[in-house]
Amino acid sequence: MTIGSAGRVVPLDPDRSLVRAAQADPAHFDPLYRKYLAQVYNFAHHELGDHHEAEDVTERTFMLALGALPRFRESAPDDAPPEASTFRVWLFRIARNVIANHRRALRRRPTAPLQTAAGVAGPEDVEGRAVARADASAAWAAVRRLPGDRRRAVVLRFVDEMSTAEIAGVLERSEGAVRVLLHRALRSVARELSAAEADDGSRAGDVRRDAGRHRDSR
Amino acid sequence: MIVYPASLDAIEVDALQTDRYLDALLSAVDRRAYDVPADPAVDPTLRLAARRLRDELVRTHPSFRFEERLARRLADAAARMRLAAATGGEAEAAIVPFPTPLLADPSLAAELANPELALLLGARYAAVASGDVARGPSLAATAAASALAGGTPSPFRPVVARPLLVGGALTSAALSLVGAAFVAWRLTRGAPTDPMAATTAVDAALGQRRLA
Repeated sequence: MTIGSAGRVVPLDPDRSLVRAAQADPAHFDPLYRKYLAQVYNFAHHELGDHHEAEDVTERTFMLALGALPRFRESAPDDAPPEASTFRVWLFRIARNVIANHRRALRRRPTAPLQTAAGVAGPEDVEGRAVARADASAAWAAVRRLPGDRRRAVVLRFVDEMSTAEIAGVLERSEGAVRVLLHRALRSVARELSAAEADDGSRAGDVRRDAGRHRDSR
Repeated sequence: MIVYPASLDAIEVDALQTDRYLDALLSAVDRRAYDVPADPAVDPTLRLAARRLRDELVRTHPSFRFEERLARRLADAAARMRLAAATGGEAEAAIVPFPTPLLADPSLAAELANPELALLLGARYAAVASGDVARGPSLAATAAASALAGGTPSPFRPVVARPLLVGGALTSAALSLVGAAFVAWRLTRGAPTDPMAATTAVDAALGQRRLA
């Protein structure tokens, strides 16, 4: 911990030594890249739902981060949460914006992968199979249907295991706003799961009634 | 029992309780605990949703081939940045600063059309990326003015000209002009007036008088 310019207690960035080494010599960016590759990729993957697009976004994010690293400073406005200025938060803010650019580009040039047309993942497509497995999860399917920042807050909390303060830094909102976003997101997911279970229950009841009627008619 | 500040709305109190539960739930994974004690203040359907999100989460890792290809690309870019920095260090007198070579890639430069991202990366001349490349020289002039005024030049400004060469040529031409002017000035001044020359002249005069 250290005392910031406004007299606030600011936690030290755990990546400070790695960041300083990379700022002094860009050849030392590799440890930061290896540390955060999977996290950035998973964030992009959950946001875009396609591993090729996630790779593309991941690549752009790291290239841009490397180029701008000499200008990265551990400083945030006074009203920002104390963890808003770490390298990880900065990197994820770049990723969030690159994903937004990518979505805009996709809207201008809508495309669909061949697997979507076939409706199945290829035999070599490990990532595609993982997505299919995630799709099978009703809870995560409900998350994918959430509006923008609610979805991003859930993904950053569960997938990237960020604290509320870090998410606030990435989404550029207050900590309180992020907590409310997460709470509302979970309530939406809970509502969808309850509705799906009720639906399954009534369908099972229909099946039992049909079976009973069938026995009676015999 | 936890007492929350009276200034918080009901939704904010609920959100705080949910956040506390999520902290406990997610840290339970690190402790290899199956679950956390149920907090009766949190809605049970909400707790169930959170547990299902944790249990059904699928994390993927990019392919090894992708990881190594991107690592090589980053290493190449880092080498170019070092080269550019070394070149820039030798030519501090140049008029226009040398740009970071990463954004020679037009697709990366195009990312800066997003003003928020441009601001985040410290790029002040994002207009170049949004299709104003043809107006490079005028922007280069703006950048030069900024650099001369003490502003730090942006690494994300794809200047199309060769400013270092132009700057070097102008500097050497200026030095040549100054050199020529100095020689001309010295020639018109007549004899040197430095003390050593004066001493030699006095010594020679005294020698001649002694001989006479």
